[in-house]
Amino acid sequence: MSESAIITTNNVNLWYNGKRALESVSIKIPRNKVTALIGPSGCGKSTLLRCFNRLNDLIDHVKITGEITLDDKNIQESGTDVVVLRKKVGMVFQKPNPFPKSIYENVAYGPRVHGVKDKAELDTIVEHSLRHAAIWEEVKDRLDDSALGLSGGQQQRLCIARTLAVEPEVILMDEPCSALDPIATAKIENLIDLLKKDYTVIIVTHNMQQAARVSDYTGFMYLGKLIECGKTVQIFEHPQEELTENYITGRFG
Amino acid sequence: MTDKFHAELKNLKAETLEMAHLGRFMLRTAVDALIRQDNELASSVVARKEEIHEMEVRIEEHCYHLIALYQPMAKDMRTIACTLKVITASLRIGRYGKVIAKIVEKISDQPHIANLMTIPHMADLVIEMIDDSIEAYEKDSVAGISDFSLRDDTIDSLRQSIFREGITYMMEDPKSITRCTNYILVARYLERCADHACKIAENVYYMNTGERIEIH
Repeated sequence: MSESAIITTNNVNLWYNGKRALESVSIKIPRNKVTALIGPSGCGKSTLLRCFNRLNDLIDHVKITGEITLDDKNIQESGTDVVVLRKKVGMVFQKPNPFPKSIYENVAYGPRVHGVKDKAELDTIVEHSLRHAAIWEEVKDRLDDSALGLSGGQQQRLCIARTLAVEPEVILMDEPCSALDPIATAKIENLIDLLKKDYTVIIVTHNMQQAARVSDYTGFMYLGKLIECGKTVQIFEHPQEELTENYITGRFG
Repeated sequence: MTDKFHAELKNLKAETLEMAHLGRFMLRTAVDALIRQDNELASSVVARKEEIHEMEVRIEEHCYHLIALYQPMAKDMRTIACTLKVITASLRIGRYGKVIAKIVEKISDQPHIANLMTIPHMADLVIEMIDDSIEAYEKDSVAGISDFSLRDDTIDSLRQSIFREGITYMMEDPKSITRCTNYILVARYLERCADHACKIAENVYYMNTGERIEIH
């Protein structure tokens, strides 16, 4: 990848309870691009994604070796402030998980935690984030309604807005559309395309057509290893590795 | 679903091979009819023009169905892309067979000039190129098409030599103009068929390797 990398992993290994889940993974994530991670269940793609904001720290008996850098700083170092790291590297999960609060409060929550108290400033952040997440027009007249009353697709875009509110550099998306219908999925995919102008997006997906549609780069993982990573067009038209070819043509997995 | 798709892809290739063989058969038969001055054989070629056209439409639709339903990738995608080119080339080859058969009907009442010059030899070489390109598609192999550039040069040289020879005979005897003009046209059509064999070869190469080559 010739583009400048925002995240780089160098020879990363990870074990859960002594069982190896990642094996010598070295990848460069280009800035302001969408990178998709694909592979069969259990191949380590979500585990790798969670390395980028140290979410694996929350799991007992995890051991990680190797180097992971964000903007050339090693995030594995013991002095790393994970709260700041997770502000820089936001995450959207498989199932929409809004807080049981109003739409407004969902988005304002993060900035408040990070010290923003001024109401006018919070209003601006909320509107800006909801607009960026392409949901403002749908919710602007009911910001005080419960977020739980939104549809699944709207909830997911609200979660994206909540992530954007703390001005991350990178957005991790772990199967963000797998609980959504095709129309809500299309809206999220359009949104991903818009987001890459300002953010770096890394998406884990089981849906290869989705990876092909939304990403600029694709990494294929198998049994904890990164088998191949390259431009999406090249991976889906002419992969270099036979394993990748067999996976994307449905011959296994 | 992927088993079903790969079974469909196998069927698609079988249908395409059938069509490619029909195109090749129409050309071979037309040239045989020309050599033997056999109007009946020539008519049998003309009679198959609808059949090959219908095959092309059917296979093309099959390709679009597979793309729409399965969104193929990598070699599967390249196989369908290649198939779309193979059927176009095969239709053209079959059509040139038909056009040569029509020429047979026009000139069969007069004896050949100079034993058709080198047309029978040129036709053999062109048919061999078509056979090799079809076999490469069938067997997913690029071995038989590696020398296509040289073979295409030979075909171009033969066409030029038939052109020069034809002009010579026409200047010697104006009564030969109709026949010689048609020989030159036949040589031109055969050369175009060799170009279509090259197109098939280029696409089979892409299908198998993902790399593009150009055969001149």
